[in-house]
Amino acid sequence: MFYRLSGVYHTSYASDSRIFKVPADRNLAVFFLLFGLAAPFIVPSIYLNSYMLPWLIWTAAALGLNLVTGWAGQLHLGYAAVMAVGAYSAVHAARFGVPWEFALIIGGLASSVIGSLFAFAALRVKGLYLALTTLAMQFIMDWVLHHSPTVTGGSHASLQSPTLALLGQPITSDAGFYYVAFGWCVLVTIFMLNLKRTGLGRALVAVREKDYAAAILGVNSFYYKILAFAASSFIAGVSGALLVATFFFLATPEQFSVAVSIQALAMVIVGGLGSIIGSYFGVALILLVPGVINNLVAAIAHTLGAQVNVETLAHIPNAAYGALIVIILLIEPLGLGKLYGNIREYLMVWPFDQFRK
Amino acid sequence: MTTKSKPTDGYSGDRPILECVGIERRFGGIVAVTGVDIVIRPGEIFGLVGPNGSGKTTLTNAITGFYPPNTGTVRLAGQDITGAAPHKVAMLGVARTFQNLALFNGMSVLDNILLGRHIHMNPGVLRTALYWWAARREEIENRKIVEEVIEFLQLESIRHELVDGLPIGLKKRVELARALVAEPKMLILDEPMAGMNQEEKGYMSRFILDARAERGVSVLLIEHHMDVIIGICDRMLALNYGEMIASGIPREVVKDPRVIEAYIGGSHG
Repeated sequence: MFYRLSGVYHTSYASDSRIFKVPADRNLAVFFLLFGLAAPFIVPSIYLNSYMLPWLIWTAAALGLNLVTGWAGQLHLGYAAVMAVGAYSAVHAARFGVPWEFALIIGGLASSVIGSLFAFAALRVKGLYLALTTLAMQFIMDWVLHHSPTVTGGSHASLQSPTLALLGQPITSDAGFYYVAFGWCVLVTIFMLNLKRTGLGRALVAVREKDYAAAILGVNSFYYKILAFAASSFIAGVSGALLVATFFFLATPEQFSVAVSIQALAMVIVGGLGSIIGSYFGVALILLVPGVINNLVAAIAHTLGAQVNVETLAHIPNAAYGALIVIILLIEPLGLGKLYGNIREYLMVWPFDQFRK
Repeated sequence: MTTKSKPTDGYSGDRPILECVGIERRFGGIVAVTGVDIVIRPGEIFGLVGPNGSGKTTLTNAITGFYPPNTGTVRLAGQDITGAAPHKVAMLGVARTFQNLALFNGMSVLDNILLGRHIHMNPGVLRTALYWWAARREEIENRKIVEEVIEFLQLESIRHELVDGLPIGLKKRVELARALVAEPKMLILDEPMAGMNQEEKGYMSRFILDARAERGVSVLLIEHHMDVIIGICDRMLALNYGEMIASGIPREVVKDPRVIEAYIGGSHG
């Protein structure tokens, strides 16, 4: 729009390898970063903590899943199990008296170790078989959580999370929780943006696209698959821990069940495999749209004065939301990220569309 | 040929860069390649010909570790690489292109070629996270080397395009670029001119000769175009049914009755 590419020339390799090569993209990113920082002062606290906060943490988690599924091309249906490992490890560490900074890292590392076990399955099997193997591991994790009271906290199977404290500062305010989530999401996003432009990202894509071609270039697919699982699991672990520490305040096995794993995969697929901005959209759709549709349906029913019974009210949003996912994937199988990319491409040269190559 | 091969990389002229001794590869009961000996000297362009199914690609797969030979040894610059995994063979300095292309279609030309630098880079999770301090310098240094090859192969205008949409001639050239940036000791080209017209073949031949002259690379060239083989190869080997039928100077090999028999099919005249 308005000749966004006009006059953009890179004269050094450093400038050609910037994260945002087009100034308009950079400005947009800065705008959203500033908005994110100012959000606690603008957005009402109820929206901040019940919508934006989970959205940000889940985006970080989805980016981690995108790393292993979108970049390295390994289907992963046990992601919630890996998040659970991080969450429980971190909460237990914190209850034990470990400062939260280290507890989070412990959670991440514990997830990395368990997640790398998933990787060993990935080295033997591919595609749907891998999906099933990881799903089986998710079931094992579910079983373990339900049958080990020492881990999950006894008869009620819930584990109270100690008050989050970072750098010696206890965090109790809504804004505080939000900033922790925001900071984590920004960190993960920056990592993923860097991944896009470094040798690691290229090697992972090589492993995904053609393993024999990767091999002849000296890429050890064995090593890079494990690396992808380990890095992605670290992100999963910390995200899981933060989810408990800033949102649920209580860890229960249901938060990390099979359904959650599938939901996480849906976020990544609807958002777009290998798309960073897509993960933001995907999480928003999966996490937030059901609530929005719910309110919408209720409001419409109210204004029309129609008596809708509770059961219908509960089912309409589900149906609408399912239909929405199908429609999006029909329009653009590569997900919301690609949809955004198409619009961006179009606006890049608008209104001089004919000059596009 | 006027360009005479010269010793490079500090290897003496006599010491072979690639040496295959008694290579045999079977698939079940089928003997794909047997009793093949090859010696390639530094800076040499060595042709490998043979009818379809004669074992040319199997031989390259045996060298590069995809299908390790059942018997025989492969030595690269004196080092035994028999049966090493493909990525290890690549790290030791063998680059290769594929008969039916092995480019990453979803990536740009530039990223594809940058992947050729993989063995000279050291990517890692922490380095990626700390890009500005730990990875940028390496990325830019390797980009410079890639750009030299992009200029050499005249790919400047398409460097940011996706490989997917390129015509086959350009794709073959991108794959050659990716192999060249690895700075290999030994470059294996599996039918780099398949499906090309006369002009494109001329370009590609020129690039191979220039790569040898400017970069001192040794080449194992698989080709069906006899004019190319005669034109640019120093020595050659002809295979049929997995066995060596003739080797030596191309002009002489192509006159060999067994080669004519294998290629044209019987001298009934």
